[in-house]
Formats: sequence, structure tokens, C-alpha cells
Amino acid sequence: MIANRGEIALRINRACQELGVRTVAVFSEADRDSLHVRQADEAFCVGPAPASRSYLNIPNIISTALILGCDAIHPGYGFLAENARFAEICADHGLVFIGPRPNVIAAMGDKATAKAVMREAGVATIPGSDILPGVPAAADAAAAIGYPVLLKATAGGGGKGMRVVGRPEELERAFAGATAEAEASFKDGRVYLEKLISNPRHIEVQVLGDTFGNIVHLGERDCSMQKPSHQKLIEESPAAHLSPRVRSALYDMAVRACKHVGYTNAGTLEFLAAGDAVYFMEMNTRIQVEHPVTEMVFGIDLVKEQIRIAAGEALGYSQRDLVARGHAVECRINAEDPRNNFAPQAGVVANVVFPGGPGIRVDTHLYPGAAVPPYYDSMLAKVVAYGDAREAAISRLERALGETVVEGVPTTIGLCLEILASHAFRSGHYDIGSLPAMLSSAV
Amino acid sequence: MPETANVAERVRRLAEFLAQTDAVRVSIQRGGDTIEVARPARTASSQSGAGGRGEHPSPGRIDTIKADLVGVFRLSRPAPAEGEILEADRELAYIEALGIRNPVHSLGGGRIVAIASNDGAAVEYGQPLFLLDRR
Repeated sequence: MIANRGEIALRINRACQELGVRTVAVFSEADRDSLHVRQADEAFCVGPAPASRSYLNIPNIISTALILGCDAIHPGYGFLAENARFAEICADHGLVFIGPRPNVIAAMGDKATAKAVMREAGVATIPGSDILPGVPAAADAAAAIGYPVLLKATAGGGGKGMRVVGRPEELERAFAGATAEAEASFKDGRVYLEKLISNPRHIEVQVLGDTFGNIVHLGERDCSMQKPSHQKLIEESPAAHLSPRVRSALYDMAVRACKHVGYTNAGTLEFLAAGDAVYFMEMNTRIQVEHPVTEMVFGIDLVKEQIRIAAGEALGYSQRDLVARGHAVECRINAEDPRNNFAPQAGVVANVVFPGGPGIRVDTHLYPGAAVPPYYDSMLAKVVAYGDAREAAISRLERALGETVVEGVPTTIGLCLEILASHAFRSGHYDIGSLPAMLSSAV
Repeated sequence: MPETANVAERVRRLAEFLAQTDAVRVSIQRGGDTIEVARPARTASSQSGAGGRGEHPSPGRIDTIKADLVGVFRLSRPAPAEGEILEADRELAYIEALGIRNPVHSLGGGRIVAIASNDGAAVEYGQPLFLLDRR
């Protein structure tokens, strides 16, 4: 069963078809005419349009899997992909959850636990404090960590309950503001401190682990070109201008951490990199949106690997067998208005033309006349270009985006082209502050 | 394939109800077969939505009672029959899901026009189970 929608549901369906595995798609009433429904061997409606009642409806999804005789469930990304309870329920009903074990999902899904586990494994994490009972404790912690620091809400998200503190005299006011905002936003005013890493790069390492204890990495992806909301827009592999020492440290930390927790299946460790310093940020215990760039440079089908691993097969290769060749860059085409704070757009795609030619891959669920419902993620397509070298891949992606037509909803195509043409991206010297800076200078 | 005479009778009955109501389309699913009678849409359908078990119908129209969860559809005993008149609310069937029996009620009286799913069949969310004439 494919417990997802959109392009990732199609991606998983393709992998299954090539492996000779029959598929069941689940869908909401809003997705009745979606491509993943048409292309799966069977399809079952599991609820109305809102995701909470369909793609997150665990009883209906499990019930469908049992009634239709499914052996395994691939959760894709988002929705139930990192829901440890769902993975447990699958196991309780004799269904294979295609992902790591529930206890590993639970440990890595909680940021504080994940960092503690990483520290145990000898992986560098951003220096920080425990939860702070008051300003004096915060002052002691900040002095020990070293200014500037970032006050963060423990229940946080979306930048709420967060304050940058540059000097000791700013601490008291910032502490009061952060706790009040956290209390108002999350009904939980607890805060902690972290060292402020100014405009780092977001570098992540892809890993695969089988049930026999074999762990390999598949290089890194640079996902620093992010919207102000920290959502990724352009990703590439390998990362440009990463020193061999840093690259080697990242790989070593990723594999060590996975061995430490007994990781199985596909996963991604996200790091913040500033100069030669790298810090573990979080782990995603699932396939990532941007996995195609890794697949293109390693020539490995990660989704097939996930299915093989879940079926109990050994990796069958070692780290030395894995060699990255060339360069791949991916752009996300979202139904968003970049000039209106990336507001998601819904509607009907009147016309769509996707690019082709050498070295181009398009993962999408769009077709002419397809509806873009307002209920789900706004990503419409991923256009990925491969080249022998970085410049060749970028030129190819520019050419491909130039061929791309999506009519009916505003998209990020134009913005992606601007980013690809920018000096920051072209030079490879960019970080998570680059796109927000570009956007504010354009205003 | 369903027997031809049976199909003709079902089409006739469906057409009769279409003529009597402002419904746009009525269909019956049996196993892999679907019989659907439709006319150009000029007015809104009188179908109740999925989750009809919780919605009380207004009198004088055809109601479709739909599955509001995924499971195995089973007729309650004594089994309701097409053409049967229900004087009041009654449990017509239940949907078995994850070992739980979820009753499907008629939500009031009426005549059972059609039993739209097979006893023992898997039903998806929103799948028509019964057509009831409320007149």
C-alpha cells in the first residue's frame, strides 16, 4: 500500500511496478482523479478532502490494507511517515512498515532525545542548554556557550518564541519576550538556549541501513537555498565548496550515529555547517523530497532499496562500491505566489508542458486539467538536471525550466530561474540566508 | 455480467426514481458491475453526503446512504430487502472495521430502492450502500 498522494505516491508506484510488486493507492475524495489513483493496481477512498480525515486516518488506512491483503505500507514523506505510533500499529496488524523501527522513529522524532542520542554517539550538536527556569540560569548558560545565542521555545516551531541575544544586557528582555510568546503560541512557555550559528549552510547526508547492521551513506545534499520559512526550494548533490575534511566528518558522523541507534531503511541526517564546524540538527526517518539528486549521482533507486530492505534483504554492497558521479540539481515547482509571501495557490492546471531531453528527470503528478486542491502541500513537481559537472547541471536545469509550462496557478518557476542565474548560486557560495536576502533586495 | 432481465429491471427502477426526483445520477454497484442512470445536470443532486449515517434526511426524496468508513459491509439480520418499506429508523447493515462492528442505520422510514453494495464486500469511504425513497 502507498499511504500518500501526489508525486511521491507515483514515485513509489513506479518502484513497485519495476519490482513486480502490486500496489494499492489510497486517496481522499479531493484526489479521486489523481494520477496515483489511476496508476496503482487498486485504489481505495479513505476519507474526505481534509488530510486529518483521509491521509492521516489511521483506522481507515489500516483497514484498507488488511481488507485488500497488503503486505507492507510505504508512507512516503509527510503525513504518517514519521509517526512512530502508526509504525507500531502496522506491526501489530502484521503489516510491514517501510521505514525504521518504531522506537527509532520515536527517538529521532523528538529533537531533544535525538540530540542526546547523537551526543552519546559522539556526533557534534549545536551547543545548548537544558530548559531554563529563569533569567539567572539563562545568563549562566549563555556565558558558558558564548554569545550570540538563540533563545528557543521547547514546544517551538515557525520561529515563535525565538529571540536572538547578541549581548548579556539584552538577555532579560529577550527572555521575557520569548517565554511570553511561547506561552501564547503553544501554551508552554519553557525556553532553552542554543549557540547562534549565523547563516549556516544546510547540508544533509543520505543513509541506508539493512536489518543485518550494514550502514552506508550516499553522500550529501546541499539544501541551503530555502525560503524564509526554511522550506527548501533548490537542492544539489554534491555540495559545492565543501572541504574534504568537513565532508569526511559529515559522512563519519552520519554512519556512526546510525550504527549507534541500529538504524534501518532510508534516512537523512541534517547538519548545519559554518566554515569547518558542522553540527547535527535533526534526523528524518523517511525518504526525502529531494532524494532524486542522490539517485542521479549514485545511480541507485532509493525507493527500491527501501522496499528491498523492508523485505529483509541485505544491502548487497558496501561503502566502497558506492561512487558518486557528476552533479545533480533539483528545483521544486510549487503552486505558490513568491511575490505574496509564498502563499499556497489552489485551482485547476489548464495546461502543462514538462521538459525532457538528456539528463532531465521530472517527478510530478500533474496533467492538463488536474486539480490543485487547497488541502495539501503545494508542491507540483520536481525538475532535476544531471550533468558531468555542476555548471553543466545548472545550465541544463535552466534550459529545462525554460521549457516548462504550468498554466492556471502561479508557480515558483520564475523564482527558481532567478536563483539559478544569481551570482550566489552560480558561485556555490550560498547559505540559508541567501534566498531571504535576495527576496528582500528585490522588494 | 449480471443477467440481462435483472439489469433491465434495475435500470427501469433507477430511471423511475430519477424521473420522480431531481437527482442527476443514480448508480448501483454489485461486485465488478455498475449500473448507472444519469441525465443532464440542471438541478442539484439530492444525494446525502458520505457520512450519511449521522445526517437526518428530509422527507420526499431519494437518499443515498454511504459508507463513512472503510471496512467490510454486512447486512444486518433479518436482512433488509429491496422494495421493503421501513416504518421507522432501523439498523440495515454494519461495516466491520478492525474488529469493530459499526452499524448503518436507515435514519428514518422509507422504501429501500436498492441495496447498492454486496453483503460481505469491502467498501471504501463514501461508497453508496442503500438508496432510500423517503416519500
